[in-house]
Amino acid sequence: MIAFILQRLMQSVLVVFAMSVIVFVGVYAIGNPIDVLIDPGATQSIRDALIERYGLDQPLWRQYFTFVTNVAQGDLGRSMVYNVPVTSLIFSRLPATLELVFVAMFLATALGVPLGIWAGYKPDSFSSKAIMALSILGFSVPTFWIGMLLIMGFAVNLGWLPSGGRGLVAEFLGFRTSLTSAEGWSHVLLPAINLSLFKMGLMIRLTRAGMVEAMRADYVKFARAQGLSEREVVFGHVLRNISIPIVTVFGLELGSTLAFAVVTESVFNWPGVGKLIIDSILQLDRPVMVSYLVMVVILFVLINLVVDIVYARLDPRVRLKGEE
Amino acid sequence: MTLNTLRAGVAALAIMAGATLPVMAQDLTIGLRAGPDSIDPHWSTLGSQAEALRHIFDTLVGVDENLQLEPALATSWEPISPTTWEFKIREGVKFHDGSDLTAEDVKFSIERIPEVTGPMSMTIYTKSVESVEVIDDYTLHVHTAGTAPSLPNDFIRLFVVPASIGMEVGNEEFNSGESAIGTGPYRFVSWEPKGDLVMERFDDYWGEAPHWERVVRKEIPDDAARVAALRSGQVDLINYVPASDYLTMQNDSSLDTFVSDSVYILNVQPVVRDELPQKVRVNGQEIDENPLQDLRVRTALDLAIDRDTLVRVVLEGLGTPANQLMPEGFFGYSTELGPREYNLDEARRLLEEAGYADGFEIDFTCTNNRVPGDSVVCEALAQMWSRLGLTVNAQALNGTVFFPAAAREEYSLAMSAWGTLTGEASYTYGSLLHTKDPELGLGAFNRTGYSNAEFDDLFQQARENLDDDARRELYEEASRIVMEDRALIPTVILQTVWAAPTGTLTFTPRVDQETLAYRITPVSD
Repeated sequence: MIAFILQRLMQSVLVVFAMSVIVFVGVYAIGNPIDVLIDPGATQSIRDALIERYGLDQPLWRQYFTFVTNVAQGDLGRSMVYNVPVTSLIFSRLPATLELVFVAMFLATALGVPLGIWAGYKPDSFSSKAIMALSILGFSVPTFWIGMLLIMGFAVNLGWLPSGGRGLVAEFLGFRTSLTSAEGWSHVLLPAINLSLFKMGLMIRLTRAGMVEAMRADYVKFARAQGLSEREVVFGHVLRNISIPIVTVFGLELGSTLAFAVVTESVFNWPGVGKLIIDSILQLDRPVMVSYLVMVVILFVLINLVVDIVYARLDPRVRLKGEE
Repeated sequence: MTLNTLRAGVAALAIMAGATLPVMAQDLTIGLRAGPDSIDPHWSTLGSQAEALRHIFDTLVGVDENLQLEPALATSWEPISPTTWEFKIREGVKFHDGSDLTAEDVKFSIERIPEVTGPMSMTIYTKSVESVEVIDDYTLHVHTAGTAPSLPNDFIRLFVVPASIGMEVGNEEFNSGESAIGTGPYRFVSWEPKGDLVMERFDDYWGEAPHWERVVRKEIPDDAARVAALRSGQVDLINYVPASDYLTMQNDSSLDTFVSDSVYILNVQPVVRDELPQKVRVNGQEIDENPLQDLRVRTALDLAIDRDTLVRVVLEGLGTPANQLMPEGFFGYSTELGPREYNLDEARRLLEEAGYADGFEIDFTCTNNRVPGDSVVCEALAQMWSRLGLTVNAQALNGTVFFPAAAREEYSLAMSAWGTLTGEASYTYGSLLHTKDPELGLGAFNRTGYSNAEFDDLFQQARENLDDDARRELYEEASRIVMEDRALIPTVILQTVWAAPTGTLTFTPRVDQETLAYRITPVSD
């Protein structure tokens, strides 16, 4: 187990390393960040002084070397645009994204899996067909468009929920969250629903496919022959057997939603990291780009790690590499 | 859960939300496309930064809604020698911490800029300052390197902070509010990058007391989200209404719109160097000469632009034809130049005379996200020029890609927006049109290679001349020369739109696009 985790962490260090090189080369290929940021009234000498100050006149390998040296000392650098440490900048925005994504993933799973089970258990019923039709809508209609419809319907026409932004934020168990107040929930509801629709569609279809296949399996017949109730058959045996793909997809979706919730964030003006990173890319704010992507890589590695560990719990046949 | 209980639940949530957020008449919430990058007023020249911080800090010299100078923290200013400006500082001004403003604070603020400013360097406003001398508490002498007639214009962005904060503090101390001490009409309450800027009225403000007790400036960069926030009543006013929504809003009796000219003009930049970075093709063959060097070709390009159509059709009415590089009324705007002519026949004739009767093929590059309308104007121009017989490959690029490539001089024919933010000609002409001269610090943004000794000479004379009338005449003459040379070809002055619920706010739009809470009042109730 320990060896397995260590091996995974080593992998992630390599990925982080490769990714930071790609970002450095990429930004270098686009051009000099100073030319994007600089005020048009500046003189040549001001421009030159700035380029020197940020070390952008150095050869690329030396800029990269300086960066790696600083990271090794735990310093990811300061944002060129905001002039605050990158870590504090990202962590000031991360709670908002985490909050949104967790509510969305919760909705997607808590509604998607039961609906999928039902649709797979009674594939020919009208309700199942309706669920399947809705799931197609969920992942084929573009997120931003559904977001606008939700805003038009619930915020502009009905006036029940706010059209965007985050509600009152309070300290809770060391986290700054808006989920402790009704007002906070009223703000998070629409964006979370919007973000969850695609994933819910995915969950429904995935669960249903697994159900349909598993219900034909021999162990279901045996379980029924044993006289177990349908509830015990479905939740005790079938669900456990079909949960590995669900957990895999859940993990992947959780990671990608955390990293790239940007469309929903901008439609609902949610103050998460997505908007921050898009702006950083537009302004070539390299320290923020690199650090953010490093964090995303680490996040993905951790989520996959947890998913692998969960596999082993769910299916005793799965052995983690490095385990005796 | 049945649909009805869900409905009831949502409604209950909404009611609770309403109960925790009492909307008071004394509050103003504004939805803005962009906000500050920092609360440190000396960090960046970004327009949205100055706009936000103007509420908290005052500038030494003020500007009215047409960018004309007016007294602010300085009550008067005059040159007392060719290299010295005297500023009289307003008496009885209090900082938010209760201390009094003196000339010492102004000196400190000028000297702080080079120490703390970032990549959007504010030293452009202090570059002509050599030293600052405090004569007494309310008199300040600024010694300049050479004559600097436009120093007061440079100081419209000189925000004054108290000397007591010390030279060491940086963005963190300002962002936390600890050092965010100004003399402005509002005091800082809270802010985080890309988030809301919350401010409260400062009761000891020296000027006219603003109406709103509490102002929240919400940053909502997404156009649709900003409009939705207005329509759902989350904000009281929004800026940069997109053109498509503007048309809808005009037929919507529940919303008022406010339209104003901006300082931004879309300029076509023809490169006149001997060799073009993207070669021009005639009958599919690259040619070595640069047709843009020929004044007749540039004039043809100019004559082929139908500016009325650009405004009426392409920009949905949100623009004004431009006839030079600055809007009317700016210092150095030439009143002798009439509207630019649209004459396709004459343009064709000139092109033929220049030896390009069959036209040529040229690449044309623009920005697509810097100002509203840049990419559509780009495409429209390409079509207008194709009527001349040219093949124009228009390409609208993100500013992130465009500006570094433009700095490397990779484009032959480009278009981007330029705003004369100081309201006078030296800012624009010194950067864009003077011959590139790093020693003099001029022509830093001259990407076309334009160089005209007569123009340079006029500019140098004007730059050294402290007499306003004489200087204005010199700049007007310079304006005439560059327009005759078609050194740059101005197309349209962009307009921008604000919107608020009908009959709620009165507000005079400003050419610099700033949305200032203390200049907004409710419609008297």
